[in-house]
Amino acid sequence: MALLELKDLSVHFGGVKAVQNVTFSMEEGDFKGLIGPNGAGKTTVFNAITGVVKPTAGEIHFDGHLLNGMRPDKIAHLGIARTFQNIRIYPKMKVHENVAIGLNSVPSYNILSAMLKTPNVRKKDKETYEESLKYLDEVGILEYKDYEAGALPYGLQRKLEIARALATKPKLLFLDEPAAGMNTGESVELISFLKKLHKDTGLAIVLIEHHLEVVMEVCKNVTVLNLGQTLASGTPEEIQNNPKVIKAYIGERRQKNVV
Amino acid sequence: MGYIEGIMISTCINIVCVCGLTLLTGYVGLFSMGHACFVCIGAYVSAILTKYFGIPYGLALILGGSVAALSSIIIGYPTLRGKLSADCFAIATLGFSEAVRIILSNINHPYVGGALGISGIPHKTGLLQAIVIAIISIFFIYNYTRSQHGKIALAIRDHADASELIGVNIFREKLKVLMISAFFCGVGGGMMAHYYTYMVPNTFGAVMSTNLLTAVVLGGISSVTGPVLASIVLTATPELLRFMSNWRLAIYGFVLIVMMRIRPEGLLGHKELSLRPLLNLYHKLRSKKINTTANISSKKGGN
Repeated sequence: MALLELKDLSVHFGGVKAVQNVTFSMEEGDFKGLIGPNGAGKTTVFNAITGVVKPTAGEIHFDGHLLNGMRPDKIAHLGIARTFQNIRIYPKMKVHENVAIGLNSVPSYNILSAMLKTPNVRKKDKETYEESLKYLDEVGILEYKDYEAGALPYGLQRKLEIARALATKPKLLFLDEPAAGMNTGESVELISFLKKLHKDTGLAIVLIEHHLEVVMEVCKNVTVLNLGQTLASGTPEEIQNNPKVIKAYIGERRQKNVV
Repeated sequence: MGYIEGIMISTCINIVCVCGLTLLTGYVGLFSMGHACFVCIGAYVSAILTKYFGIPYGLALILGGSVAALSSIIIGYPTLRGKLSADCFAIATLGFSEAVRIILSNINHPYVGGALGISGIPHKTGLLQAIVIAIISIFFIYNYTRSQHGKIALAIRDHADASELIGVNIFREKLKVLMISAFFCGVGGGMMAHYYTYMVPNTFGAVMSTNLLTAVVLGGISSVTGPVLASIVLTATPELLRFMSNWRLAIYGFVLIVMMRIRPEGLLGHKELSLRPLLNLYHKLRSKKINTTANISSKKGGN
């Protein structure tokens, strides 16, 4: 059985049909791209899967569980993690503390021992600290561990957000526009980073991205959404040569440039 | 001496209550306009227990706090479950607090005493007890904020939605912090009852809730020592200004406005009081002194 399976997923907000009958599935270790023009419903698909919005119709299966109507934190514990289009790290906390939240989203000791700061608490806090360094090392920002997270430059905040997501030990990772606001040089760096991450962790990753070169470079399989519906699905080569995609996606961009 | 001692004891009681509220407001970011009701519940429960059942003082305080914590579920469950925004929560707590006060004024059972309240409570809160309990409270809350529990509370305040997607159970964490804050307010209430030896429901009105919240906001968000310092200042200032009788509340208000204008994040927002800056200053001054003496001696040598 597939790791993630969407069956005819629809999400409506009042009269707005943000997502309509989207179907796709993912296996373990897949690297899937989700592209489409603005307002195509990409982020809404993410939100429906992670429990932020309730699907109007359809089913979401993940790892043998039906996710419809489940609370976001429970879905997270099943093994789905995500990052956000606009970065949401904890700016006033230190970098390693951000990762620690991902590690211990449910505290590993009780309230009384926390107040008394028992030796067990000290031990567990130390373990958490050391484990958080592992994840910082994995994304390559270990040297910034004691910085205030809000003081990091933009690109590193992205990486911190990914480290925090990885710390929840997910089976499936959603990345919502990680290259947003990056220039070409930074995008190229991101591509190699994502490739390495996928190779090292073997995670299933879904990538939403506007920078087509990033998606075409790293994803093995791409799904194109337009106006809430699946327009096409296939390998990057197939997608690039699909006339419907060119019309909806690239065609629209050219029109925008003319205006 | 009795006067000074009185101020010190009421400051300590204030610190215990503020310790609880700072966890809720400064860490989870929920503003409560009605924490006086938890002070009230703690005061009544512990007073009845010691006066009529002969329960020892310490145990009565803990039981009073526990009942206050349990009663906070009544308001916490519906408001936090429904993901009420922070301002709605403030109004809801205000309503709850007034309801508790009115209900207590209308219970004419001899133990509760209706609007006349309870008098003849054994006097148990001395200066020593007050200081010890205040220090223990600060110690507990400080450790709590530094623990995983406290970090999660901060995470909820910064990005509740993102935290939920990491796996934080927002409702449970918020309710937990509300209960802890109610517990400490309840203990503070118990201390208060056993210091004044009498009380009426009207003591625990909106003014008390506002004073507690003022101490937290003025002291600084996500800080423990800040609100503690603020509650010392806020209890002492009206007393220091007592010679100006009519004007003192106006000056008190003016000082608050100026404070918030200069430091909107509070006295010690996101910081804790520590001796490090003082030590640094000392080292700086010392090295300067050595330098100047060295300069003088070198000048002398030059001449």
